[in-house]
Amino acid sequence: MRDLKHLQYFEDLLQVANNPLIGQAQADGKICVTYPCENVPEPLLNLPGAFSVRLFAPNTGSTDIATYYMTNLLCETSRALLERAIEGGFNFADCVISPDGCTMMNRCVENMELLKTMGKDKPHFFWQYMEIPLKDDDNNLSLYKLQCKNHILDPLHEAYGLDISDAAIRQAVEEHNEVCRLIRQIGDFRKGEKPRITGYEFHVLDLATYVCPKYLIVDRLRETLEELKTREPDGKPWRARVVLVGSEADDSGLIKLIEEVGAFVCADRFCMGSLPGRDPIELNDSEDALTQVCRAYMHRCQCPRMMNMAKVYGRKQYVADIAKEYGADGVIYEQVKFCDPWAYERTLGSVMLRDDYGYPVLSVDRPYNISSSVGQMRTRVQAFVESIEIKKLQRGQKG
Amino acid sequence: MTIHNDRARPGDQNLGVLFNEGKVRRRREWRGVKDTLYDYGRWLYILSILARFIVKPRNIKAMFRYRWMANYLAVPHMVDKFTMGLRDEPLRIVHTAMDFVVYDVAQTMENIFRGDRRTGNDEKFSAKCVLTDENAMTAFMMGFPTLKAILREVPTMFVANLLNQYSTTHYLDVAQQAGIPGDVCPMPEAEAGISIEDDFAVLGACAVQVNTTCDGSLMGNGIIAKRLEREYGIPTFQLVAPMRHREADVQDYAAQDIKNAIAFIEEHTGAKWDWDAYFECAKRVNDITRNRLAWLEMNSTNYPQFVGAPFSLYNDTNYMGNCGRSPKFPPIDRKIMKYAQHGYEAKRMMAPEYRHRAIIWGVQPQYVIDMLNWMIHCWGIVPLTDMLSMVNTREIAEVDTPENREQAYYDMAWLNENMIMRNRTHGGYKVLVDELWQFCEQMNADMVIMWEHMSCKALDGMHGQFEEQAREKGIHLVWVCHDLCDPRVYTRQAIRDQLNTYMRTVMREEPLDPTIEVLPDEKAW
Amino acid sequence: MPKFVKIPLLAIATLAGLFVVTFTVYFLNLDMKLLSKIEPFFLKHYDKMPRKNYV
Repeated sequence: MRDLKHLQYFEDLLQVANNPLIGQAQADGKICVTYPCENVPEPLLNLPGAFSVRLFAPNTGSTDIATYYMTNLLCETSRALLERAIEGGFNFADCVISPDGCTMMNRCVENMELLKTMGKDKPHFFWQYMEIPLKDDDNNLSLYKLQCKNHILDPLHEAYGLDISDAAIRQAVEEHNEVCRLIRQIGDFRKGEKPRITGYEFHVLDLATYVCPKYLIVDRLRETLEELKTREPDGKPWRARVVLVGSEADDSGLIKLIEEVGAFVCADRFCMGSLPGRDPIELNDSEDALTQVCRAYMHRCQCPRMMNMAKVYGRKQYVADIAKEYGADGVIYEQVKFCDPWAYERTLGSVMLRDDYGYPVLSVDRPYNISSSVGQMRTRVQAFVESIEIKKLQRGQKG
Repeated sequence: MTIHNDRARPGDQNLGVLFNEGKVRRRREWRGVKDTLYDYGRWLYILSILARFIVKPRNIKAMFRYRWMANYLAVPHMVDKFTMGLRDEPLRIVHTAMDFVVYDVAQTMENIFRGDRRTGNDEKFSAKCVLTDENAMTAFMMGFPTLKAILREVPTMFVANLLNQYSTTHYLDVAQQAGIPGDVCPMPEAEAGISIEDDFAVLGACAVQVNTTCDGSLMGNGIIAKRLEREYGIPTFQLVAPMRHREADVQDYAAQDIKNAIAFIEEHTGAKWDWDAYFECAKRVNDITRNRLAWLEMNSTNYPQFVGAPFSLYNDTNYMGNCGRSPKFPPIDRKIMKYAQHGYEAKRMMAPEYRHRAIIWGVQPQYVIDMLNWMIHCWGIVPLTDMLSMVNTREIAEVDTPENREQAYYDMAWLNENMIMRNRTHGGYKVLVDELWQFCEQMNADMVIMWEHMSCKALDGMHGQFEEQAREKGIHLVWVCHDLCDPRVYTRQAIRDQLNTYMRTVMREEPLDPTIEVLPDEKAW
Repeated sequence: MPKFVKIPLLAIATLAGLFVVTFTVYFLNLDMKLLSKIEPFFLKHYDKMPRKNYV
């Protein structure tokens, strides 16, 4: 297929955590609000005068110092982030808002704080830790609202004078929705037998919306959408179509590797993916925006730490639904090494997707930076693709 | 400052004589006539508990049905581990506490097998049972005097590993064969393995799970609940203990979920919450708190009395498993207190000298928790307290008034949040790191034995901070790594050797009893 | 020997005998040595049982 005009631009942005657009936005007078986890409602971090940057650590090599502080049994994502923070890679942050979601991410941020890795020469810099829902019900919604108020809105207002009114939240939601709608429309081109965008290309665009100021990339996203409407798809068919499910996948190299083997990543149900991370939030006028935002995040949350059984079963149903919607032949459950929540989730998920929904499943763990384990992953995915092909052949023979 | 024992210990001086390379000890300890006869009497008592248990046909059936039951052959062996080297009041304190724990666990198992569909199958009884997690405070059961809280994971997983170091390895293998990686905490992993292999008893009108202790427990609950609900038709409720439990802005949330849990139990059992029963339990909870604080205060002096694994295990049982519900615990508390007071006044010591006073921090390995006793005799390190015993210190409302009824939900939520271990491993670095140093100061400790449970991400995540801050404060921090209930990763001797190496190389000391510096217990129960 | 002497003597002898036997078992750890020999039979039995593994 013809190269997307802005792909290289976005790829370049993703080579460093401190991409040039962050500096540009700060020069525009905006506050950089950083966060490590999808459970912090993003629109609240993008109020007028602020922009959000999800912390990630591209091209991570050694994590020796972080490993000293956190040992080598904590997940590689948390160690990579801490290492990057210690190296000064996140010095652009004006504050850090972290949920006490999974233990490892919490310890990561606590170490960042105790080691004073950020906030130097920034008198208004703050660290905030918030409680987040563990279930999807009214009680948890009340909690979420209170936590967002106490640990996001009030601190942003007190430290940086940001407008945290209902109107400001609605404006932030609308800007957030615009990006979401663009990403979802772009993502829809993954459907159908001849997709016009690869999973890798989509991941690059999607990831950029998490780690760059959205207002500085929205124009290019619009252009990319227009470009895709007339892009000629590849004639060569993919060997298999897979849904990728799991923990943080902020390394596009992972998607590229899977697709090099012939498995098209048609849907991205992982942390930092578009499903459900880029679902627009439709607000009505009958309720305050904060409640609606919190409810949307709580309802749609696919994080494995949501523990009521409706959520436990619901997450598998969600994967099955998107597998059907995107025409997937199989599901790949992946987790970053040493991630406890996804360790259990992929065990249960693999069994249920196979037994209850009839999908072939590959269940793998991987390093944070896939380049350290290319051969192993390639072999696993290759074998999985072949097994899907064999199943297709057998189904074809049975008529 | 070394404290010398001016009384010679009667009986066996070198405890290494008790060990050979077998599964069990060569013989029992000679403690002098008085204490040996006392210990013999307690042994008969333990055997009587076991005999009363095993004569029931349903319990024999359970013995043949459930793999984990085989570990209970080792009950007297476990008690011997905890009483090693003890005389006088310390011996009596340990027996009082641990013999009662044995009794309590036997009662738990009685109840389990009475209601279990595969053994006793008493349906009427089962309909009055509520399954609860082992890693959960049972405060939400305080107002249900007609119901039984069944902590079915306690005898299956936790106590089994106190008895036999290899009790969980089969279940870990099952869990890992099912796809759960080996780096997760082995406690919930083993529980998941037991569920996968269908080796849990099946009973109860409903089940209440809690997200304590950690991510692993939270996630393992999903696997267990799925089987309970889909295969056995037992509905489950997931009760939340907030992570940031010291913050004021989570308490309403926590209290409301307690109300929700109570409503769930009422719906599925038909029982009604009883405020009289609740406040009676509340009084006992406060009694437990006061006693524990008194023991801790005593342990802050030169003559600690109630220490080590029995202190920790008794607190686990009383504070968490019982949570004020049983009237049998207060007399045991009083008996222990009496012995402790006598022992303190008589300046009883457990070793020829105390060279170091240690706070035991981190998560304790179940298969070598008796190491705390070993430490006293081998190196003269007296364990003043452990992380799991540093729990709630505040008294809850115990008088029935309309205001207190509302406060009660907050109190139950507070207890839930302050579940043993959980109240330290979660809630921010202050409760895990900063408060450790405060306890060191309060209890005049010069040493911290840091149990580094390698799969405990909450603790491991603060490794560097512990290291650096201990250095700043001049506290000897001894890292002792283990894998909780999987002795294949770190054997018992490998664990002890970490302390041995530190004491020889850093402290430049020789052991008090060199015959137990290296113990041939790799094959032992 | 009159019965009121014989019976208590017999009782004392029995108790003494029981004490000697049980104390021997206790001190030489014979109870645990025996049970440790029984454990492998149980383990073999459990290994043979059919299982319904379910995630």
